[in-house]
Amino acid sequence: MIGGLVLPLLFLAMTLQAQMKVQNDLDTVKQKVSTLNDKVAGVEERLATAESDLAKLTKIKLSGYIQAQWVNYEASNVYPGNYFMVRRARIKFTYEPINGIVFVLQPDFQPGNITIKDAYARANDPWLKTFSLWVGKFNRPNYEVEFSSSSREVPERSRVIRAIYPDERAIGAKLEVTPPKFPLKFQLAVFNGNDGIATPDANGNLVVLQNIDYDNYKDLMARLTYDFKLGKWGGLTIGAHGYYGRIKANSLTALNSDYTYKSTLENLGKSVPKQWFGVEAQFYADVLGGLSIKGEYITGVNSIPGITTSASAVTSTNVIKNDTLWMTTTLTKTSNSTPAITKSFSGWYVYLTKNIGKRNQVAVRYDWYNPNTKLAADQIGTAKYDASKTTKDPNPVKTFAGNVATVTQTDNVYTSKLNSGTSDIPYGTWTFAYSYYFTDNIKFMIAYEMPMNKKVGTVGANGNGNVVSAYTVNGVTSAYDYSNVIKQNVLTVRMQVKF
Amino acid sequence: MKNSRKLALIASIVLLAVIGFAFMPAPKKITVKGSDTMVILAQKWAEIYMKSNPDVIVQVTGGGSGTGISALINGSTDICNSSRALKSSEMDKLKERYSSLGIEIPCAKDGITIFLSENNPVSELTIKQLGDIFSGKTRNWKAVGGPDAEIKLYGRENSSGTYVFFQEKVVKGDYAPSCQTLPGTAAVVNAVSKDIYGIGYGGAAYATGVKHCKVKKDDKSQAYLATAETIAKGQYPITRYLYMYMRNRPTGDAKKYIDWILSADGQKVVTEVGYFPVK
Repeated sequence: MIGGLVLPLLFLAMTLQAQMKVQNDLDTVKQKVSTLNDKVAGVEERLATAESDLAKLTKIKLSGYIQAQWVNYEASNVYPGNYFMVRRARIKFTYEPINGIVFVLQPDFQPGNITIKDAYARANDPWLKTFSLWVGKFNRPNYEVEFSSSSREVPERSRVIRAIYPDERAIGAKLEVTPPKFPLKFQLAVFNGNDGIATPDANGNLVVLQNIDYDNYKDLMARLTYDFKLGKWGGLTIGAHGYYGRIKANSLTALNSDYTYKSTLENLGKSVPKQWFGVEAQFYADVLGGLSIKGEYITGVNSIPGITTSASAVTSTNVIKNDTLWMTTTLTKTSNSTPAITKSFSGWYVYLTKNIGKRNQVAVRYDWYNPNTKLAADQIGTAKYDASKTTKDPNPVKTFAGNVATVTQTDNVYTSKLNSGTSDIPYGTWTFAYSYYFTDNIKFMIAYEMPMNKKVGTVGANGNGNVVSAYTVNGVTSAYDYSNVIKQNVLTVRMQVKF
Repeated sequence: MKNSRKLALIASIVLLAVIGFAFMPAPKKITVKGSDTMVILAQKWAEIYMKSNPDVIVQVTGGGSGTGISALINGSTDICNSSRALKSSEMDKLKERYSSLGIEIPCAKDGITIFLSENNPVSELTIKQLGDIFSGKTRNWKAVGGPDAEIKLYGRENSSGTYVFFQEKVVKGDYAPSCQTLPGTAAVVNAVSKDIYGIGYGGAAYATGVKHCKVKKDDKSQAYLATAETIAKGQYPITRYLYMYMRNRPTGDAKKYIDWILSADGQKVVTEVGYFPVK
């Protein structure tokens, strides 16, 4: 009987003990799960913060490239004639805090010289996805200017582009219209207009102003391009661009392109024109790999401001004549002026580029630039303007006191002249280049540029031309005579790393 | 003397082996990268093609249309799959780097399907309603004839061509910040199947375990499901081409592979996977 009770009780006790143990284990598990939950919640919170921080970082993009090269100049006026150099060392910071608003900053870290190449803000319209407004310093709207140096098939831009768009960038504002479903692009920009151009300061020194305008005149620029798809023939882009601007003359005399007198200006702040027009085309075809033919022709007028400086000097002379002491005080007012000149110019370039496989690219370019189309070759060196004159005071003030005569007079020395010369010489340049893309980031280029000046000027009886430029290298002075073609070829071996 | 003979023999064998390996035909490899929407289709094409062409290796990876286009530009893929057309900025990069406009090959058609939970009573939406939903202007199902509950949005990452196409065609602006971005249409389908108040978009080929929502151009139009017929007739309003892009006109093995994709056999695979043939 007792045994019959003990056994169920024992079983009950054991069951209860087991249940209590399970309960305890369950509580422990619950506690552990709860702790784990807290930990996961903590990790999630930290992850959310990290994700939020990371999301901010993804709005910043870094890109850039370095171009290091060895150049060998065949021109005898260049010393050293060959050297290694860092042509570009740029990092581009792009920050897009919200979709469509972009800030770009691109410094160039050349050894010994850090400059800001790009610094602009761009706002894209979020509704039509068609318009964008740019403000700051950015590329001028032109095909070769906007085509990055890191992608260009040859070492340098064409001579005409370097002449009219020095430094490529300009400070101003731009409206860009790119309808998403229409292969058209229109750019309208307003710039200070003096970017990269050396302009005279009050002392007559030529300086390149940074971040400030040279005058109150603003320059307008517009470019329109349209893409055609030619089916199996490839594609064609045609376009045109125009520049309408003025620059402070800084001289009271303005000259025509042929160095003849054009007009007298009211004051130094009056302007002279910078106006040109260009047409462009780029054709792409697939002929056993990519092939492109690209070209542009630009013509118009470009003005170079004058230089005007003035000075005064007082001299005294004492002379005894017929028992009278003549004391003469002369105030000499000197005015030196280089007139402003407006030159008609034209220039063009054509590229032929062939890609062979993924890695090889060969390119040939011919470019032509005539900085003064109004002067024939034999007029360069002869055409000149000279209105210099010296005027003595017609009515000097004379006073007499006994045997002493005092004379006070004011003389004027006026110099105003400008000669045609090397700045008017037309150039044609052949460039041959081969690029090898080791990877997409690393490119090697070997290029040979052959600039050829047009033979200009007149040759005298002694066989020497009248358009010369003297130079001194290692203490030896020589001169280029531009009645000949001057050898000035350049060999460039370049390595580029882009990221 | 014996040693030197042995050495000469070993050297000759090694030399012959090296020369032999050098002249051994390397396996022909075609790399394909890009659209996640197209990745199943591309894998299927590759699998079938490699069976009948064992000397060719077709390597397929996804990553999104944008990733594929970048790979095409930087030269790390032969073929780029893209569920959207090339942007002009991308074409400019091809021009700069390869003097080429690239070659566009439409290889399939797709209807972007709207996925709803099978338990969601809503069964059709207009393009405008979808735009409002995905831009965050409409946040409650009640506004489009559903229950009084918050709408949960599921979409693709911004590297996806589907993301870009849907944004341009339907959202016409920015996506709502609450839209959860997921890596691949399969992930979108999976998320919507588990969320009664969820809505997502993606390629039709992935749509299993969810309800397809009918779509109509506007209130007055008829609503259509994305089917071969409605897409072929142009009735389904959110349709697009799926493309393959190459830097230049295909030659050699790549040309043979693309010719096969565009052949009846290749286009049959398109239908099997759930997309719609171009021919």
